[in-house]
Amino acid sequence: MNSVRDRNESAWLLPAGPGINHRLRADMRHFDDEEEVDVVIIGCGAGGSTMAQRLARAGWSVVAMDAGPFWDPDKDWVSDEAGSHHLYWTEPRVIGGADPVPLGSNNSGRGVGGSMVHYAGYAPRFHPSDFRIHSADGVGTDWPIEYTDLKPYYTEIEEELPVSGQDWPWGDPHSYSYSPNPVSGNGDMFLRGALACGITAKVGPVAIANGRFGNRPHCIYRGFCLQGCKVNAKASPLITHIPDALAHGAEVRADSMVTRIEVDERTGKATGVHYNRRGSQRFQRARMVVVAGYSIETPRLLLNSASARFPDGLCNDFDLVGRYLMVQGAPQTAGRFDGEVRMYKAPPPEVSTEEFYETDPTKPYKRGFSIQTVSPLPITWAEHVAAQGHWGAGLRQYMSDYVHWSCLGALCEFLPLPENRVVLSSEKDRHGLPVAQFNYSQCDNDKALMRAAQSVMEDILQAAGADEVITIDRYAHLVGGARMGADEHSGVVDGDCRSFAVPNLYITDGSVLPTEGSANPALTIMAIAARAADRLTAGGAGSTADRLPVPVRRGATG
Amino acid sequence: MSRLPLDPSAGGGRFPGFDVMAQSKHWDEVTTSVVVSRLGMPPDIRFFRGTEEATASALCDQLLDQQKPPRVPVVNMVDARLADEQTDGWHYDGMAPDGQSWRDSLAALDEDAMAHSGCTFAEAPWEAQSAILQAVLDLGSKPWHGTPAARIWSLWTRYACTAFYSHPWAWDEIGFPGPAYPRGYKNLGVNEPGGKTNRLEPFEVADARPAQDPLRKGNS
Ligand SMILES: Cc1cc2nc3c(=O)[nH]c(=O)nc-3n(C[C@H](O)[C@H](O)[C@H](O)COP(=O)(O)OP(=O)(O)OC[C@H]3O[C@@H](n4cnc5c(N)ncnc54)[C@H](O)[C@@H]3O)c2cc1C
Ligand code: SF4
Repeated sequence: MNSVRDRNESAWLLPAGPGINHRLRADMRHFDDEEEVDVVIIGCGAGGSTMAQRLARAGWSVVAMDAGPFWDPDKDWVSDEAGSHHLYWTEPRVIGGADPVPLGSNNSGRGVGGSMVHYAGYAPRFHPSDFRIHSADGVGTDWPIEYTDLKPYYTEIEEELPVSGQDWPWGDPHSYSYSPNPVSGNGDMFLRGALACGITAKVGPVAIANGRFGNRPHCIYRGFCLQGCKVNAKASPLITHIPDALAHGAEVRADSMVTRIEVDERTGKATGVHYNRRGSQRFQRARMVVVAGYSIETPRLLLNSASARFPDGLCNDFDLVGRYLMVQGAPQTAGRFDGEVRMYKAPPPEVSTEEFYETDPTKPYKRGFSIQTVSPLPITWAEHVAAQGHWGAGLRQYMSDYVHWSCLGALCEFLPLPENRVVLSSEKDRHGLPVAQFNYSQCDNDKALMRAAQSVMEDILQAAGADEVITIDRYAHLVGGARMGADEHSGVVDGDCRSFAVPNLYITDGSVLPTEGSANPALTIMAIAARAADRLTAGGAGSTADRLPVPVRRGATG
Repeated sequence: MSRLPLDPSAGGGRFPGFDVMAQSKHWDEVTTSVVVSRLGMPPDIRFFRGTEEATASALCDQLLDQQKPPRVPVVNMVDARLADEQTDGWHYDGMAPDGQSWRDSLAALDEDAMAHSGCTFAEAPWEAQSAILQAVLDLGSKPWHGTPAARIWSLWTRYACTAFYSHPWAWDEIGFPGPAYPRGYKNLGVNEPGGKTNRLEPFEVADARPAQDPLRKGNS
């Protein structure tokens, strides 16, 4: 099991060049609603797809549902900003609190592949310090697992995506199997500015191979990563994990919105899920339920699954569901150059620095931030310019200057706070279910990090020669909301992602993160899911075999 | 060169001869059909009712400074999204969903215009309209007709900018080549001024007035 292909054949199951394996989808196995499958997975994003692939490989019968479509990148995605609106989760949500966080395009996706379909593609690891911020700094909380628990899974997933980048000096130093991609105008400006300021910056880590990977083609540097990669160069579970899951007999049931998880009042175990598929209400029986619907929909589904045993929502005995949700403060600072940067060329994710990631004892705030290239396309750039108060003639004039701008983004570690949470709104969606209300208020540490990151980005751009800099405050990367903890008073699930309240209910998406670090979360979410699957199937320490019905093993049907 | 009328002193004509659509034969079919549809007849108004259409048109013309034809049909594009409920998937607590917020804010603009100029917003002279809008923007997070002004402002500008900057004529104006699949880009890096480096693709056009920094007005 040493080579990637032996563990995950996805990249070799795709056709050479762009496109999907139509045969694999046509031959996909179908399970009956009545059949009690080993596991039903809710959500085919970062966490759900990884779980589906691992469990299908282990011989489990898997039905992986997603509320959105089973994308065909060739036909369903476009090389266009406004035309990509359908990639986002646009079912209604309400935002509140002192610092409400806009959702939609910048925050969550739908359909098979999840938010990774339109994520940028940065794939950094968390630092070892992330798992112990309470012990070290007296803020946030400690994880019930350590960096070393995740480390082997980081390596595995990095190889499976795969990730390219320079040797990584920060956190736990490591290297990547693919060399870094060439750098475009925006990355070049970052490198120049960082060098002039004496800040170390590195190319990567990006889930776009510099070269071919299996049958997946080389990146064509077209810059539309946030609109879904039509080329199959940028990793998303749609191409990195789903093909292998299908080849091992999993069913992906798209267009299926799970509305409620059913729990047997007598046994206390989950028995399956109610879902709405193209207008008909159905119920899939399962021995085990895995929730992976993203940090908003996961808590919402648990809250909407209240019952006599769980009057305040499933797994919510201790009022933890929906709480401690976090976003990263993601201010973007742009600089103006007389040269033409043309930041729309090449993938937006290029260069990063994690030099400011750790707590600096000389600073008045705890924890830190990372800085990366972001390269907004015209519509997003117009939002950036409009946020400075420009409109009408001023806006048009600023926009005519687009090719001269370079843009950096920071990721500031916001602390987990109990009142930052998802609750159910009185508003209903088209299925008649209460929609999620997401409340957010920043603490002083959060605000201090935003300003500190902004000033470093301004320094870098000015050192590169920018004569003007402008900043917009944005927020990205929601995690938490059903966090893992040492016990049921501190978390909804344990370190293996198993819920404390229902023995055969797992949560394996970004919701389980107790803190968020200053790293983009997708790689960590996948590593956590891969570890949870390993613990489930290998029956290692903490094996659930004694507590769970042993899955009926069926030979792989690939 | 963009078909949109924009004075050189206001950023017009910076990319002489640049024509996004001339490259459309190099795009994939799905993307092409999406982009080409924006150049066809604008979709009929379905969402805005009665005088709302006039108010919304005047507002959109102001926000993107479209004083004379040909125009990007921003109001039709905004209307189509609202009619289809193609929202961004969220709205503020205590504020109506996008469609209703558009209606409420258009009515509020007419009220302001009545007080300011004694006519509807659409009937008010261009300068009066601009003054009314600037006053809304200047309120910042303070309430305007019961809602924090900045939230209404962001609602308007998000919809209007998304429509305008999705149009190939706007791309011509800012030097952005639009779709890039399956062709991609081959010449990456900073295109230094004065021809020191050439990092343009054959179909890209260099900015004719690279020193026309918005902050250094009149410097071109
Ligand atoms: C614009 C953007 C850029 C980003 N850039 C990066 C980046 O560079 N690097 C990085 O690491 N991360 C990035 N992210 C974040 C990253 O994509 C997410 O953190 C990650 O995908 C979350 O994984 P998840 O498993 O929690 O949920 P998702 O990947 O969102 O998957 C959840 C899935 O569940 C489905 N679902 C939800 N509810 C239900 C239900 N009730 N029934 C059935 N299905 C349901 C949804 O349709 C969705 O497909 C970015 C995100 C965005 C939006
Ligand atoms: S830039 Fe490369 S990775 Fe990004 S969408 Fe284009 S081909 Fe895919």
